[in-house]
Amino acid sequence: MTRPPLTFFLAAVAILVGMAGLVRGSLPQSVPSTASSSTAGADPIVVGGAYVREPANDVNAAAYFTVYNTTGTPDELVSVSTGAGAEASLHSYTSDGAMTAMSGLTIPANGSVALSPGKGHVMIEKLYGPLKPGQTVNLQLSFAKAGEVLVTAPVIAIAAPAPTAEGPK
Amino acid sequence: MSVLARRSRPGALAVLAACAAVGLVSGCASSSSPQPSASASASELNDHAGGPYQGVGLIPPQPRPQFTLTDTAGKAFNFGTQTAGKPTLLYFGYTNCPDVCPTTMADIANALSMVPAGIRARTEVIFVTTDVKHDTGPVLKRYLAKFDVALPNKFIGLYGTQNQIDTAQVAAHVTLAEGDGQNHSAQVLLYGTDDYARVSFLQSTNETTQIAHDLPMVG
Repeated sequence: MTRPPLTFFLAAVAILVGMAGLVRGSLPQSVPSTASSSTAGADPIVVGGAYVREPANDVNAAAYFTVYNTTGTPDELVSVSTGAGAEASLHSYTSDGAMTAMSGLTIPANGSVALSPGKGHVMIEKLYGPLKPGQTVNLQLSFAKAGEVLVTAPVIAIAAPAPTAEGPK
Repeated sequence: MSVLARRSRPGALAVLAACAAVGLVSGCASSSSPQPSASASASELNDHAGGPYQGVGLIPPQPRPQFTLTDTAGKAFNFGTQTAGKPTLLYFGYTNCPDVCPTTMADIANALSMVPAGIRARTEVIFVTTDVKHDTGPVLKRYLAKFDVALPNKFIGLYGTQNQIDTAQVAAHVTLAEGDGQNHSAQVLLYGTDDYARVSFLQSTNETTQIAHDLPMVG
């Protein structure tokens, strides 16, 4: 009973991922102008929709954002540091659902990668203090080619909707 | 018993991936596709049965499980009897989870704020920890208070020994958590007043609206 959907969904995923790849190509042109709060419009890497959800515990928090590569060559997000905690690391999920650390995150040429709940996040550990809505968290993203990109991520309330990748209106 | 637990997983993950992919493209695809809305297409993909639910249909329906753990007041809590006849959302997670758990609990709280007041008042939300080493009663209580502050019926946090937690997961037909509970099922099970779960939910941008849609149908 549960079996037919698996193949169907795998096929659907393959198709949708393919579509996403096509769709991505059109994104960077329109996004830099609206995401200028994070970086200047002419930059090779633009980060939009950054936020940190107010943590429900005292030890860690997750930061989310979408990275757009406006250049014709792939780049790689190799590390993250933050003013909110002693450690920050890139996490994603393996195909069997286990949370795992990433050594780097490749941003395809003229493409984008979104970190979102269940797909990936920057885990901030050893928090220096409580994170509350209204505060901001500075994230320094280090890219192999584009270098350092500073992102200011607002802390949103624990049950607030995530901001869109186009940034605050 | 582990066969049951494992069997449910690949399908669930494929659905999760499909939801994520839908989320990625829905904004662009809607202009060229005949789908009336993103939620409608997500519903079609999620619903195995082609039935009325927006969440992931469970076929066959799963009976409300029997297991006994300890609540945040330190008292024995018999899930099967103490939630019997009430609409119930059951989730397994851990408090030091930075990502899926708090987002899921926020989705549940937001969904409850959207449903009619009567259903909001009688729905039980049960959070069972998979981190038996860290999550004590006080830790669970403080964690859940972050989510249920505006709700009339407070969330119930349960903990127990590793054996008890494993037994509860098997009884609820979710994948057994591994790695000190950090690799755990992402399923939110919804049991209705008839004591069967016919639908479950996975983390996605649509989870709040899916729960808010389906909960009144079984509550």
